[in-house]
Amino acid sequence: MVSEKTPFGKVGTYLLFAGPTTFAFFTVVILPFLFGVYLTLTNWDGLSATYLFVGLKNYRMVFEDRAFWTSFGLTLKYVAYTVVLTNVIAFTLAYLLTSGIRGQNFLRAGFFVPNLIGGIVLGLIWRFVFSNVLVYVGKRFGWELFLRSWLAHPDKAFWALVIVSVWQSSGYMMVIYIAGLMGIPKDLVEAATIEGATGLQRLRYVILPLLTPFTTVCIFLSLQRGFIVYDLNKALTEGGPYKSTELVAMHVYEKAFLAQQYEIGQSEAFFLFAMIVGVTLAQVYLGKRLEVEQ
Amino acid sequence: MRKLAFFLIAALVFSAAISVTASAKVNITFLNSKGEIQAQLEEIAALYSEIAKDVTVEVIPCPVGQSPFEKVVSMYASGNAPTIAMVDAGDVKKFQDKALNLTGERWVQDAIPGSLDMATLEDGTVVGFPFAVEGYGLIYNKKVLDKALGKSFDPSSIRTRKDLQALFEELKNAGVAPLVISPLDWSLGAHFFAIAYAAQSPDPKQVDAFLKDLRAGKVDLQQNSVVHGLLDTFDVMRAYNIDKDDPLSGTYDRGSYLLGTGEVAMWFMGNWAWPQLSELDPEGEYGFLPVPISDNPDDYGNSQIPVGATKFLILDREQSSEAEQQAAKDFLNWLVYDAKGQDMLVNKLSIIPAFKNITLEPRDPLAKSILQYVRAGKTLQFVLDLPADHWRMVGAFMQKYLGNAISRDELLDEIENYWKNVK
Repeated sequence: MVSEKTPFGKVGTYLLFAGPTTFAFFTVVILPFLFGVYLTLTNWDGLSATYLFVGLKNYRMVFEDRAFWTSFGLTLKYVAYTVVLTNVIAFTLAYLLTSGIRGQNFLRAGFFVPNLIGGIVLGLIWRFVFSNVLVYVGKRFGWELFLRSWLAHPDKAFWALVIVSVWQSSGYMMVIYIAGLMGIPKDLVEAATIEGATGLQRLRYVILPLLTPFTTVCIFLSLQRGFIVYDLNKALTEGGPYKSTELVAMHVYEKAFLAQQYEIGQSEAFFLFAMIVGVTLAQVYLGKRLEVEQ
Repeated sequence: MRKLAFFLIAALVFSAAISVTASAKVNITFLNSKGEIQAQLEEIAALYSEIAKDVTVEVIPCPVGQSPFEKVVSMYASGNAPTIAMVDAGDVKKFQDKALNLTGERWVQDAIPGSLDMATLEDGTVVGFPFAVEGYGLIYNKKVLDKALGKSFDPSSIRTRKDLQALFEELKNAGVAPLVISPLDWSLGAHFFAIAYAAQSPDPKQVDAFLKDLRAGKVDLQQNSVVHGLLDTFDVMRAYNIDKDDPLSGTYDRGSYLLGTGEVAMWFMGNWAWPQLSELDPEGEYGFLPVPISDNPDDYGNSQIPVGATKFLILDREQSSEAEQQAAKDFLNWLVYDAKGQDMLVNKLSIIPAFKNITLEPRDPLAKSILQYVRAGKTLQFVLDLPADHWRMVGAFMQKYLGNAISRDELLDEIENYWKNVK
């Protein structure tokens, strides 16, 4: 139909296949993003018909917003715990479920299911579990740990968030790890066994290095998910008790729409975007360096 | 080619025909931010769509947890503004660029004095319709009180903090949990602590001046006897709270459940709680007690409860057609002047209207109780002119205080600081 040979033909082919997607991506992602960046330099409040150009003033306000930095610190803590726990658990599950135990397909499906439930629903279910079911159990058996709702205590509410996030996303990461583990050539593992490597040595020197590309992807996904989590935060703790579990995405949202300081919220959002890009790029770069050739 | 042209022309004619028939019927949208009356509003919309044959009203709910301001802003941004939007009193004036001028409407003359204050611009233009008058205080379940006290409870017997404490003690001795405090930021911040602002003075101008001084950092809350008095009462309430051991775990539903089933005698809440209470206890008798702020029965605030027009309807003038605007105006007039509309407003929605011409007596006991306070002139200002995030921030400070995470000094410091830095 169109020739691939001429430059015009190439553009034509591209437009034919990727044109609609490019157009959609450009109009609903790139343009609003650029416009959003422009808005951080103005004092638009989200509603009024006119606004002024104010330069970098909003970014100075970001640095002066103490609550933003508290939320940011809390988010870093949250990301650190969820990334480590999610990946350790996901890898362990994947390792066990590729070792040929009975009913492993059923178990794989079971661990994956939480990921199919949306964050809001999940948050509400776990809210009920933490503040009703566990309290009931605690009272029934006199377990000190569960006597009071976890969601009413700042530290425990934070751990409730971590537990639910890990529970939700480890199944997803597990699937990726399983794919990776199944792709490892059998001959390499067998060769290591014949040469006398123990199970742990095989894991440490053969399987983990070969799995690095998958680990990089899983860590990337869990990092990125952790930084932008909002739905679970909103539904499970609502930032409470007394705003002590307000993660940064929620803070940004409330700054823009609740405190009605739209321009500052928008600047904080852009700042957050820059941080996430920085962290994830660094992580992907480091991950690539760890990869080995077979 | 000719076939194609024919097809295009046919399509054009067809779509024009559709738009002609559509224009005969006016669709208006109503954004509802009172979640508890969503179902009832939908019924009313259906009823009105039958009565006014060429108008259909569609009710859009504002999701729980999203402020009406956010919702309306995002609807404007998407070019899909609701014809009628129900917004919080404090947000009305923020929409003055988009809201229709309602100064000439008939109901403006019939509105209760003061009810239009939050919707009147400096030049006297009215941009909002006062939809609901609401009030709050300590709701008591009369059946429970009568049984525990062994006599008919008289609300006017409670006029000081001491009286309230004695009542709590008596209830406790009778084996009834005295009260439940729902640890909700909006309830503690926007309602409970706001009593401290309202009770500063019976003159609304003085209250405004007090809030201005707070903003300017000129108020020392430590030296304010009203603030301390209110918090002293809060300390008494904390001590008798059924959730004393785990004060921050409660929910709104738990509060209405405990009061409606008679497990507690009182609950700090407002008349919007009636739909939930009536599901549990439709025949129950309920009423309001003021939150006392001192031991002197004559002090302002000890026998008054806060009452005010909390929700306003604004009409869109930017994205709605003339016909839609007119249909929206007609709908409001129907609510205020048509017998059926009044009945719907008062009885179906359990709303206390802000209009003098509506003389229907509400059937709901909480609304009745509020009307008694209004008619006796025993009301405090329901302070609505607070910064947009006041409920969330001051609510969080009050939660900390309720959970014993901070002392009173720290609480007052945090509140002062909040006011100094607020936008």
